[in-house]
Amino acid sequence: MIITISHLKKFYQTHQKEPGFLGSLTSLIHRKYQTVSAVNDISFDIKEGELVGFIGPNGAGKTTTLKCLSGLLYPTSGFVSVLGFTPFERKHAFLKQIALVMGQKNQLWWDLPAQETFLLNKEIYEIPDEQYQKTLSELVELLDVESLLKVQVRKLSLGERMKMELIAALIHSPRVLFLDEPTIGLDVVMQKKMRDFIASYNQLHKSTILLTSHYMEDVRQLAQRVIIIDHGKILYDGKLDNLVKKFAKYKVLSVVLDTYVAPDKFKEIGELTDYNFPKAIIRVSRGASNVAAAQLLEKFPVDDLNIEEPDIEDIIRDVFTKAEK
Amino acid sequence: MWFLLSLLNPLLVLLFWRGAFESSASPLGDWSYNAIASYYLLLVIAGSFLQVHVEEDIARRDIQSGFLSHYLTKPFSYILRKFFQELPWRIIQGFFGVLVLILFSFFLKNGLFLSHDLIGIIASIIIVVLAFFISFLFKMIVGISALWITEFYGLQELIGIIDIVFAGFVMPLALFPPFIRTLSYILPFAYMIYFPILSFLGKLSSVELLQTIGIQFVWLAVFGIIYRMMWRRGIKKFTGLGQ
Repeated sequence: MIITISHLKKFYQTHQKEPGFLGSLTSLIHRKYQTVSAVNDISFDIKEGELVGFIGPNGAGKTTTLKCLSGLLYPTSGFVSVLGFTPFERKHAFLKQIALVMGQKNQLWWDLPAQETFLLNKEIYEIPDEQYQKTLSELVELLDVESLLKVQVRKLSLGERMKMELIAALIHSPRVLFLDEPTIGLDVVMQKKMRDFIASYNQLHKSTILLTSHYMEDVRQLAQRVIIIDHGKILYDGKLDNLVKKFAKYKVLSVVLDTYVAPDKFKEIGELTDYNFPKAIIRVSRGASNVAAAQLLEKFPVDDLNIEEPDIEDIIRDVFTKAEK
Repeated sequence: MWFLLSLLNPLLVLLFWRGAFESSASPLGDWSYNAIASYYLLLVIAGSFLQVHVEEDIARRDIQSGFLSHYLTKPFSYILRKFFQELPWRIIQGFFGVLVLILFSFFLKNGLFLSHDLIGIIASIIIVVLAFFISFLFKMIVGISALWITEFYGLQELIGIIDIVFAGFVMPLALFPPFIRTLSYILPFAYMIYFPILSFLGKLSSVELLQTIGIQFVWLAVFGIIYRMMWRRGIKKFTGLGQ
């Protein structure tokens, strides 16, 4: 196990301030503190080479967990081990093997070309010349940024900057890569390129990658394994397919109709969730989906029929709302 | 070039002293006009070369905006990184300070009042180097106090004012009334600016030079210990926020 977390808890103290002027005065004398449990007893193991996606709504505890793993945060309690090290001790031998990329926060020097930052990192991580050149050209090719290497970072677009951020983070070939919301703020095309790159990198180098996201597409396309986290607790940890099977007790039949059919006629098949003639969407229980499909084809003027898995977003939303109860 | 403006402050004060010298023969005891003028000119260099401003960056960018995360996840000492980030600024500003100094020293009738004693000059260089390290460590401590204090501006201004008075930017500490003078010799600020200037002016005897160096080492040790303690405790409090 390259990463082990056991009963990790991270609590923050925030102080409550009453609004208004009187509130400001009172807070000088007596501060009321509230404990926020960002991470509240989570445990999991990750093997070398795994690509794991953390999903959860904002404030779920994903970034906090990542920061505990990369050594930025001091856990309130629990055990964390990455590559055999205790991350918070931040030993150089540990730091040389990890990388942390945060969506919107640049490590690149603003006024110089990205290449200068790469050279700086080369020195910081003590990368030998040959290895540096090799890694650099491989990454530059994979991300297709050859022409941008000598351009000032401030002049690059957000997508181009993210690519450079990735190169800066990967130039020392880390064994473990932490990506915090890597696709946030990027356009659809860039998001896909980012995902493709992450997947290829994981395949090529067998590096362990943990990414957090609240975009379903990131998870759907990338993660072999998914950990769902909400309110500091793990709701699900396993393969994406199993998530669908376990939590989605239904399948979705999407139909294109030839002639108009009254909505209540669909009741005998299943639950009609959306009807915009000629398209209709019907939910049927998983086991009965084939029978229902056959019935539809037999009794209704169907032009086209698709049996689909429910949208992961919907499944996860259900998981969250169930957890809140 | 905005920093040049603050460098010229000492020169304005000099005008005031010129007036004082014109009205009375020796208003400052054993400080001749040349000496006081040289003092203020050297303040220009001291201000540009020995005044470290690293705390602004540390408090606002690294701690409050969370960029410290980038430094913490790399296998390189934070304080060393900050040192090498600050050094080029000091060299550039120090260079301009020297130019201003050379330019204005032409206006001094008897040239710059400087020590001519070789040992004195060597000691002065040592004192200057130590002063720089003390200044740097002190500002590092001020900077990382942002890990505890959210309204950093207040602290910054307070330190700034104390610094101006007790480092000798207003006037030579020897000219202060006894109580303030003694206080300024106890505080570390004099050892960052005032004593380096005095040693270059040749106003320190050999014993005093050694004393100064000794006290500087003590301050270095004290600040070093304080910094380490604050860093260890403070880092646990760093929440990596500001995203």
